[in-house]
Amino acid sequence: MKEKDRKFYLASVTDRFVRGQMDRRSFLRTAGTLGLGATALGMGFGSRPFGVTRALAQEQLQPSAEVLSWLKDVAKPFAGTTLKLATESTPPSNAINSQLKKYFEEATGIRVEIEVLPLEQVLQKLTLDVASSLGSYDLYYIDQSWSASFSEDVFDPREQLQEKPDLAMPNYNIDDFMPALVDGIAKYGDRWVGVPYDIPIFIMIYRKDIYEKLGLKAPATFEDLLNNSVAITKEMGPNLYGYAGQMKSGHYALECEWTSMLWGNGGSIFNADKKFVGNDERGIAALDYYTRLKEAMPPGVDQWTWDGQGQAIAQGVAASMLSWGEFFPYFDDASQTKVSGLCEAVVPPQPVALRKPEECGYGEIPGVGHQGGSSLAVSRYSKSPDAAWIFMQWATCADTQALITTLGGGTGPTRASVYDDPRVKANARVGAGTTRHLSVVRETIDKYMGSEPDLPEWAQLSSDTIPVGLGKYFAGSYGSSKEAMDDIASQVETVLKG
Amino acid sequence: MHQSAFTRTLRTIAGWLVVGAFFFPIYFWTSVAFRDAKDIFNWPPIFFGFQPTVRNFEQVFGISLGFGFGSQETVTPGGGNFYMGPRLWDSIVVASFSTVLAIVVATLASYALSRMHFRGRHEFVNWVLSTRMMPPVAVAIPMFFIFKQFNLLDTYTGVILVHGLMNLPLAVLLLKSFFDDIPAEIDESALLDGASRWTIFRRIVLPMAKGGIAATAVLCFIFSWTEFLFVLTLTQTGLKTVPVVSSTFVTSIGTAWGNMAALGAAAIVPAFIVILLVQRHLVRGLTMGSLKQ
Repeated sequence: MKEKDRKFYLASVTDRFVRGQMDRRSFLRTAGTLGLGATALGMGFGSRPFGVTRALAQEQLQPSAEVLSWLKDVAKPFAGTTLKLATESTPPSNAINSQLKKYFEEATGIRVEIEVLPLEQVLQKLTLDVASSLGSYDLYYIDQSWSASFSEDVFDPREQLQEKPDLAMPNYNIDDFMPALVDGIAKYGDRWVGVPYDIPIFIMIYRKDIYEKLGLKAPATFEDLLNNSVAITKEMGPNLYGYAGQMKSGHYALECEWTSMLWGNGGSIFNADKKFVGNDERGIAALDYYTRLKEAMPPGVDQWTWDGQGQAIAQGVAASMLSWGEFFPYFDDASQTKVSGLCEAVVPPQPVALRKPEECGYGEIPGVGHQGGSSLAVSRYSKSPDAAWIFMQWATCADTQALITTLGGGTGPTRASVYDDPRVKANARVGAGTTRHLSVVRETIDKYMGSEPDLPEWAQLSSDTIPVGLGKYFAGSYGSSKEAMDDIASQVETVLKG
Repeated sequence: MHQSAFTRTLRTIAGWLVVGAFFFPIYFWTSVAFRDAKDIFNWPPIFFGFQPTVRNFEQVFGISLGFGFGSQETVTPGGGNFYMGPRLWDSIVVASFSTVLAIVVATLASYALSRMHFRGRHEFVNWVLSTRMMPPVAVAIPMFFIFKQFNLLDTYTGVILVHGLMNLPLAVLLLKSFFDDIPAEIDESALLDGASRWTIFRRIVLPMAKGGIAATAVLCFIFSWTEFLFVLTLTQTGLKTVPVVSSTFVTSIGTAWGNMAALGAAAIVPAFIVILLVQRHLVRGLTMGSLKQ
């Protein structure tokens, strides 16, 4: 059958199917005879259920020949080894687990088993592994808030590069990791606790259509953010609110958003003497600002973590949020949200004032772009540290990161060079897995990133003491913001005293 | 007893309200499984009239409906891989074999406790009961070290053993009460007729306690089916059961509610089938002992 005839026949068959003159089974059989799968027919079946349209051909989404060749050579002695990694369900881990590790396994003969768990369960598993020194896991996924706790239990990658030149990946270029991320995520004291692996960071995401409709400009300052949010809520509420927060009482999410408000209003968590100062004049101003902003948020916001916050934007309930950049590709996915193509990303609003890092304690770095993230490291207790080191280099090299960003749905790379990779840039269009927000992510990392303090008690303070106190304040348990912050300050001091 | 029309109507309404209160969460959760993500968090909520989709099931079970089996490599835009088909199988294997283990051991133990009089019998029953009082979390960590030592970590055998042991005290106590309800005179008559203890147990008492055994087996199955902590602690990548993998739908960029609901809805089915299979005995078992002679 000629191509032209085939198309005409297909058109007529499709027409009959749409009009109900042909059953689905017959239609599919005929379409199959014509060499068309259901995906090509746009029926939403097939192996990519969310309909991610890729801007690149499949062959461009495979590891480079150079990398595979190095893996084949270097890993020969380790063929047959099995490596284990416990990780949170993050885009890099999922992309490696689902799509990329098969290339590594084929090239090396090393089997990689990745256990995906919620973050707190990863911590439990790692703690058990460290306490027992059993080496159940060869690689550790280390959230930035745990770096102090695990710093002595993993190899410093710089030492591994120096001590094992025969295992070093050519052009691995450890200096390519963005310095701000190395400081914020992977460093504790002078040691590198692995290398930066993923970087969720707060950026400003807003509904461009709503802003344009009301004649507003993207919030450039904290004042803009408040005024715009209030104006939208006043104009369009209760159908649509100006801002969505992540304010669940007692949850780490509330602490994350609060730190952005605190830093953006010129405050800090600790001063240079390592004393909690969230209750100083700027701290009180920050909480008052947060309280005013909450009035422009949808009811029920104090039950939301970042999950609910993201859903509020995705469902068209709120017009802006200052939150994790990883949400942006999700918003662009027309099969998942009602706002595909309607959101824009900009750098976080300029702060009212900003304290300098040297004015703060425990390595705290004030910045509205609150940074999360994790590092990947080889466990000191691993029974196959060399094989694990080869895997780690492959998983965090520029080539793999570009693939992770492309396949993993537009997650932010931790290497500077990957932002300029043609494969990553090719996905900078409206649609699922977009990378069109990554220039904003990069600029935020470089200029506006805020890092939480590093201290062993931080896990308790950030996930319990502070968000519980803030939750009580927003529930009306305190007479004033000053009273709430003074109480939180006294509780923090109690925890620090042990 | 005569009831007025008003009372009857009121009772019917109350009955429907109670049924609705139990049924609604199951309906709503199941309906979430058939929704696209953008239809889950509608405000005001939509209970009916949404556009149904089987996409969540396709992702979770790797089955592209009408197109045979899909690929485990299916990845969502956030990079998530929610292929959980094998994990449902893991749950079925663990729950079934641990139930069999618990029932076999508990049946023998409880018959002995019910019929044989030996020194320390009551203390033994109390000791069995006391093992249920220990919080599982206190046992989970030591179990991890023991299992690691015996290469039972991350194996079916390990998880089946621990679930079997976990259910054993409850099964022993329940079955003992069922055996206690069967008159000892029956055993004695059989003994006089020359039957051995084993024959009495196998041919006479066991068939009479079928209902109780079925009820106990259902409870053991459900406890194993929903157990979280031991599976989390004692497994890595080799196997995982439904409650543990359900938590992996919580990702760094939010929760995949539709997929979680699809797995949850599908996970109801095997437990439901088990209950259906033993339903005939179950009602009898649950009411056994309610009437004393």
